[in-house]
Amino acid sequence: MNNALEISHLTKDYGAFKLDDVSLTVPGGTIMGLIGENGAGKSTTIKCILNLIRRDEGTISVFGMDNLQQEREVKEQTGVVLDEVLFHDMLRPRQVGKILSGLYPNWDEALFTHYLEKFGLTGKKTVKEFSRGMKMKLAIAAAFAAKPRLLILDEATSGLDPVVRDEILDEFLAFIQDEDHAILISSHITSDLEKVADYITYLHNGRVAVSGAKDELLDTYGKLVCSKTDLERVDQSLLAGKRVGQFGCEALVKDRHAFARRYPALTVDPVTLEDIMVFTGKGDAQ
Amino acid sequence: MKGLLYKDIVVLRKQISTLLVFVLVYGGFCVAGVFDFSIIGVLIAVFGLTIPMSSVALDDTSHWDRYAAATPAGRKGIVAGKYLFTLLVILVSGLAGTAIMLVFSVVGLTESPFQELIVVTASCASVTLLLDAVLLPFMLKYGAEKARLISMITFVVIFGSIVLLGGLASNGASIPHLPDWLVTALPVVFGLISVGGFALSFAVSLGIYNRKEF
Repeated sequence: MNNALEISHLTKDYGAFKLDDVSLTVPGGTIMGLIGENGAGKSTTIKCILNLIRRDEGTISVFGMDNLQQEREVKEQTGVVLDEVLFHDMLRPRQVGKILSGLYPNWDEALFTHYLEKFGLTGKKTVKEFSRGMKMKLAIAAAFAAKPRLLILDEATSGLDPVVRDEILDEFLAFIQDEDHAILISSHITSDLEKVADYITYLHNGRVAVSGAKDELLDTYGKLVCSKTDLERVDQSLLAGKRVGQFGCEALVKDRHAFARRYPALTVDPVTLEDIMVFTGKGDAQ
Repeated sequence: MKGLLYKDIVVLRKQISTLLVFVLVYGGFCVAGVFDFSIIGVLIAVFGLTIPMSSVALDDTSHWDRYAAATPAGRKGIVAGKYLFTLLVILVSGLAGTAIMLVFSVVGLTESPFQELIVVTASCASVTLLLDAVLLPFMLKYGAEKARLISMITFVVIFGSIVLLGGLASNGASIPHLPDWLVTALPVVFGLISVGGFALSFAVSLGIYNRKEF
């Protein structure tokens, strides 16, 4: 299996914020979910891949091609949905298609029409009259119609209702059935990533806090729910973060199987990606 | 590139239509004898300067460039597209101006020889090209809003200098005369300076855009 995207030691220093030594790999036929708080570095990472900002250090390759040396070839293979829709207000979807057909060499007009019909965007409305959800659907239709091998989506499902989100997630799953395709998706909606992602990278304060196969992460991490007394007697090095409340405590356990062997009397529940994100963030803050 | 040109034409359709109404109105004034026919040449400059500036302004408003830079067009494509669009606007308005003047000349509405009218349109197109060469790098670096101020300063400097020289001449100040050969060759020299300046401007804009972060 070839890697669709390889990021190695990516660093970008803004002064007040630094994306620091980020490395990740997205194998072909998979979806990598990029999670993290606002300002954690998700969009900065995506901007570096697309050469929208200059990196200070590191390398990025897409299907083995350097993203700077072979920028045009890389972008011909990459469909993009950014965090906001940047088409001019007065444009209609058909006109957007005509513009992009002149930019993407593999543009598939029939596929674009298919998605416009599927997403209900075939009317005479202009981008200005679209809701945020409709704008995102237009951007997603355009990204698919570019016939990319790699899809990069920055908060693409935000603003969409759960039904449409589910439909789009199905499209993503269909897209990666081809082993030559891959998706990098950043999202705050971790439940979406739990549905579709194969790998997860959690960025925290510009660094990779957690990265790995989603199923493995969800199987390894656990959530300890216990009393304050129990929490105090637990080896703190086994925990990645904790929340102490008036009526009980919760903590993120790094290896729930090892933890269960050591503390068989304590209950460790399965975790969600949100738990991993929230507790790791809190643990770091403490 | 084709897509970027099409985009500029589509998003500026309304403004181009409005400017065409201006052409008709000013054409009517010329026929009525209110204005000299050379005003058509001024309209070429108006088209060639305002349309590219509006195109950059609309791109700024929608942040289109951030998206376009992520497409295969990339930064080079965006800059090349804007310069090509500017050239196209000047070329089309120059040709349209020439055609209008030809019609006026053929039906006998003007006594000026057609060659003279051609020189007027060519000169206006050259001046417009040179002004765009100065303004486009500023527009691409600072955005259309800030570049408006620079364009105003440019106009004041150029036309202020012309008025100043005219005033000096009429007050009897001695202004050095250009040699005859230079006067004869001036249209060609100025045309070459405009074209060379535009090419240089493209290289400068490309350098600016390559350093831009989105």
